Amino acid sequence: RAHSNPFSDHQLEYPECPADMDWARLYPGFVDSATGKLSREVTIADIGCGFGGLMIDLSPAFPQELILGMEIRVQVTNYVEDRIIALRTNHAREQQYQNINVLRGNAMKFLPNFFHKAQLNKMFFCFPDPHFKQRKHKARIVTSTLLSEYAYVLKEGGVVYTITDVEDLHNWMVSHLEQHPLFKRLSKEWEQNDKCVEIMTNATEEGKKVARKQGAKYIACFERLPDPEII
Amino acid sequence: MAFIHPIQALATIGNDSIIFTVVKNVIMAFQQQSSGEYKQIGEWADTYDRSDSIKEKVSKEQERQIQENIKKQKDNEGNSVPKKVSQAKVPVPGPGAPRIYSCIRNLIVTKNGGKLISCADSDKSVLIFKIDLSNKTNCLELLKRQPFPKRPNAITISDDESTVIMADKFGDVYSIPIEGEPITNINEELDPILGHVSMLTDVLFKTDSKGKRFLITTDRDEHIKVSHFPQSFIVDKWLFGHKEFVSSVCSPAWKSNFLFSAGGDDSVYLWDWEAGKKLAEFNYSEAVKPYLGDNHLAPSRFQNENNDVIEYAVSKIVAFSTAPYVAFFVEATKVLFILKVDSEKETFTLSKTIDLPYNVISLESVQGDELVVSLDNRDSGNNDFVKFIKYDAANDDFTVDDAKSKAVDTCLKQFSNSEKLVVESADVYPLYSITTLKKHGEHYS
Repeated sequence: RAHSNPFSDHQLEYPECPADMDWARLYPGFVDSATGKLSREVTIADIGCGFGGLMIDLSPAFPQELILGMEIRVQVTNYVEDRIIALRTNHAREQQYQNINVLRGNAMKFLPNFFHKAQLNKMFFCFPDPHFKQRKHKARIVTSTLLSEYAYVLKEGGVVYTITDVEDLHNWMVSHLEQHPLFKRLSKEWEQNDKCVEIMTNATEEGKKVARKQGAKYIACFERLPDPEII
Repeated sequence: MAFIHPIQALATIGNDSIIFTVVKNVIMAFQQQSSGEYKQIGEWADTYDRSDSIKEKVSKEQERQIQENIKKQKDNEGNSVPKKVSQAKVPVPGPGAPRIYSCIRNLIVTKNGGKLISCADSDKSVLIFKIDLSNKTNCLELLKRQPFPKRPNAITISDDESTVIMADKFGDVYSIPIEGEPITNINEELDPILGHVSMLTDVLFKTDSKGKRFLITTDRDEHIKVSHFPQSFIVDKWLFGHKEFVSSVCSPAWKSNFLFSAGGDDSVYLWDWEAGKKLAEFNYSEAVKPYLGDNHLAPSRFQNENNDVIEYAVSKIVAFSTAPYVAFFVEATKVLFILKVDSEKETFTLSKTIDLPYNVISLESVQGDELVVSLDNRDSGNNDFVKFIKYDAANDDFTVDDAKSKAVDTCLKQFSNSEKLVVESADVYPLYSITTLKKHGEHYS
């Protein structure tokens, strides 16, 4: 299935609060043998990770950071899980792909159940569902009200990456992020020098599909600004 | 048999010498006289006809579709072909369609007693009334009717009483000035100030010990979110702990950093919302057991083979104005629970159980350490509309004020021939809808 309704009552598993999340299960390679706990936190999130191509390319680029993909479609999540298990097994000797994993979940509803304030360095929104119909715009992954929640889990200076092949959606995401007081657009020059932009442009399955069809890819990156003084 | 519809919502000014009630789609105001009797002093009925606005909406959507099709339809030369346009038809619900009720909900009075705020289901609007007690024929004057794209579910007023904060069924929160003209095109002119991706159930305006202002919003996904105000784009924190939906929150004037919350869980919770800490919970499942009945059985599609799955939820929790007590009730039960709060130890315990003759529908806290409840009195022969429950400080006890309750009942009884208020059994508005918020995880993918 290509779509899933983010407003439905899905059978979802999510922790009651971030402290209750059992991350050791997802990243066994990073478990501190003395405490049985993870030695670090997830700092990179790929929201709607699809088939996991982005994570797989980010993994060697950020070997010391934990990367989590979130995906709402069950079958797709199962596929990515299998894919990561296979990669870990095939690269067991080099201990690779230990820093990525995937969770089935509804990020629009339950992101704060997983991540505490200012936990994340980077959030990726790659080729999100465009929800063309006007009355379904609240189902889009970037809305002014959801951006406040993304700003909560991002640390100051953290980056939101967006890429899409739908120009209307690109304009929508840019205008909402630009209007949000906690985000500032990063320059084209910054984009050209950032390795994640390069990976994001070429790594994902959707991105490859667009490239095959010689379609356009629209990229916009935004920095999380410090909170203004509370009035 | 026809009877006066039960009171769906209540509000009072200051002490309860003036009370406002919602019966069907009518707001009525009553004032207590020196004799102790209540007299009607105001009335407003929602006579809004939905068909015009539906027609307008249908025409607009039709226009949009035609415009979209024009772009697509081309003749052989590549020119666009205009299509014939017929008048938009207003859709009429077919047989068996769920009934549409034009209810009024959420009744609040500003602290200075000057304005009454409410919501109408008919056009999903927030209603702002001026309360003019010098007007002897009708004290309610509608100042503003602000329609919204989705149904308002909860409202509150900012501390300076200039702004109404409205939380809707779709998860968005809007801020609207009390003064000024209504906005005609909400989607283009008014953006939500914050939002959840879940139905909002309650909203509360709070000021912390440093004088900073906050909005507390609760939803069907167990979340209690604390955002700054007016910088509502900055989320301060979430209060995690509910395992089921949250239906109601309140914060007492006598301990401003305390927050009480309740909903589909077996417990009601006590938080320090400023520190972001859960302090205590009170499990009421044993206390409420004797009061549960057949109407708490889960709907058949969620039932087990023994047909004994019960579902219940707290409808509302309120704090007393000065005494360290909170009160709550479980939907479709004839009982009110009163908890004593120990501010030092930061705990609370059951203090008193008050049995009532009928199911409780609404609960409000009144100045002077009093509560007022309205009851589902449809079988009473137009008696027992409301009960006032007074805190007796001398004996540290609670008593039902029968005289005052009766005075309001007597006043309402006069309307037993009024077409506006009287209904047949089949026409009673859905009074029990909180428990239906429970999630069953029906959708797998």
